[in-house]
Amino acid sequence: MEKHTEDLKAIREMMEKSSKFLSLSGLSGIMAGVTAIAGALFAYLYLLRHHSSAEFLQKQDLLILTVDAILVLVISLGFAIYFSRRKAKKKNQKLLSTVVLNTMYNLGIPLAAGGILSIIMISRGQTELVAATTLIFYGLALVNVSKFTYGEVHYLGIAEIIIGLLAAVFIHSGLILWTIGFGICHVVYGFIMYKKYDLN
Amino acid sequence: MANIIANLNKAFDSRIRLGIMSVLIVNDTVDFNTLKELLELTDGNLASHIKALENLGYIQTIKQFISRKPNTRYKITDQGRTSFQDHLDALSNLIG
Repeated sequence: MEKHTEDLKAIREMMEKSSKFLSLSGLSGIMAGVTAIAGALFAYLYLLRHHSSAEFLQKQDLLILTVDAILVLVISLGFAIYFSRRKAKKKNQKLLSTVVLNTMYNLGIPLAAGGILSIIMISRGQTELVAATTLIFYGLALVNVSKFTYGEVHYLGIAEIIIGLLAAVFIHSGLILWTIGFGICHVVYGFIMYKKYDLN
Repeated sequence: MANIIANLNKAFDSRIRLGIMSVLIVNDTVDFNTLKELLELTDGNLASHIKALENLGYIQTIKQFISRKPNTRYKITDQGRTSFQDHLDALSNLIG
């Protein structure tokens, strides 16, 4: 009887280990959230200083805000890679190249599509739906990748999509909804994941 | 009780074979080195268990060349999938 329980446990572990990216650390989520909040704060202060009404944005402003957003993305990714490596090392997990590639591929397609679409929108001066677009495509990317990593990522994705749709309805609250989606949601999610999977 | 135990497949008695089947049931194809790394086995040990599972018709070998280097991949067969699923069900039933 003991052996059967052990067998089932080993089977489940091997299935997960061979098909899922489980080195993602909760700390990456927390840091991504903090970075996003910092980026949004910068954008907010910038707009406050340079525009009494944020209705009409100049080319230069758009450039600065786009660079700000891209910086947030790059720094968050940097944290994700750093903490994943650290966790893999600590738990003595080997990062399987096929699993990493699968994860990147499934995350990357919606993310790249959304990123390119956002840049096209910005370059046409149609900025009102950019916050919604980044949130929705990011949410879709998470839902898409969730079968290759922790199941909780699925729900984070759904939350991002809902917040993104809200940002499309309440256009003038774009920045604050963006901050909730990329900032607060990540911090909360990261904290839950850290407590659940990383602490032991 | 005896009936339930009879459903357990002797071929999957070994933890290594269970491991190989577990990996192959959730991945389309897996190459030799990945299997070796995952299961933390030596070449010879892994090869002999693969051979045994292949002879039973549970897995199949796909030999191909990737930029002129030979690359051997493994794939679970329909029969292998059914047998492994039956074995899993039997295990779950035993535990209740």
